[in-house]
Amino acid sequence: MDLHVIPRLEDEESWPHTAQLLRVAGYDAVALTVPTGLVDERLSSLLRSFANTGLEVFTRADFACSRRQDLLKLLRRFRRRFDIISVKCLNHAIALVAARDRRVDVIFFDPHLRNLWFDHSIANVCRAAFEFNLRPLMDDASLLSKAMREMRIAEEHRLNIVLSSGCTSPAFVRTPTQLSAVGVMLGLETYHVRNMVSLIPWSILVKNVERRSDEYVEDGVQIVSKKSFHHD
Amino acid sequence: MTRRYFRIRIFSSQPVAGEQFALTLTASLQRYFGEVGLSKVNPKLIRFDAKKSEAIVGCQKGYEDQLQAALALINRIGGAEAAPLTLRLSGTIKGLRRRSQQPF
Repeated sequence: MDLHVIPRLEDEESWPHTAQLLRVAGYDAVALTVPTGLVDERLSSLLRSFANTGLEVFTRADFACSRRQDLLKLLRRFRRRFDIISVKCLNHAIALVAARDRRVDVIFFDPHLRNLWFDHSIANVCRAAFEFNLRPLMDDASLLSKAMREMRIAEEHRLNIVLSSGCTSPAFVRTPTQLSAVGVMLGLETYHVRNMVSLIPWSILVKNVERRSDEYVEDGVQIVSKKSFHHD
Repeated sequence: MTRRYFRIRIFSSQPVAGEQFALTLTASLQRYFGEVGLSKVNPKLIRFDAKKSEAIVGCQKGYEDQLQAALALINRIGGAEAAPLTLRLSGTIKGLRRRSQQPF
């Protein structure tokens, strides 16, 4: 599954094309990044255009804040509304807060920010998965060494790594095997890389969908309805 | 010298020529893996169907990941945005044709 697809909201015609291409590429499920303030009608038409091709569609919110208070406020407000919550780290302090907070599923970095990268201090406290997006690497080969270093650190700390396309248009859609090949290029092991495009993102989603259900109380505790109790 | 073959479909806003695609692939391999990497992968465009925008590309066995990564990092062919997707991998060209729903 592709955990990071960013559809262009102003270009509705590209939605079905992107969805078809994702299907041809072999994906069964995608997480679409949508703005938090998107009107319900537009959101449902976006989700429908992707679901019509047979994809299982999930919603994702990307938060990019530079202050701790702003991030915590957003997390409080939107955690329950989205299947995936991710944080684009704009500075080191925010990266530490996001990495520590269990409401955050995924963190990622803008590779163009020269003074910020995924380092050991962040990896030490990281509960969230570390996401690598292919999209920036396509334009700038000089980002390769930074990506390799970040991957090495994430692997050293045995963190969950997610490989995503980060595609904004059909031209940036790639197959899962292509994503995993880039992972191998970045120094990851073939066996682990396969999980980074399939099992790990899927397990994050399953956990969140379960958390958002009415029966969920806390980890390992669920409300068992009378009906299902009698059936068992 | 065992080789592996990829079936690739190119999605582009403009029609793509086989030569253009081969040049872009070589440039991408050179850019990310260098001259030595390029010669190890030893890519060859076996066939190109301009109508369907499909290609069969061969590479040295054991270097499939490098070829796939180089393909993944291509986003422009001949000035137009393009997405080359690898659809299938096989040890023989016949195998690629046999397994595809639409014969090449």
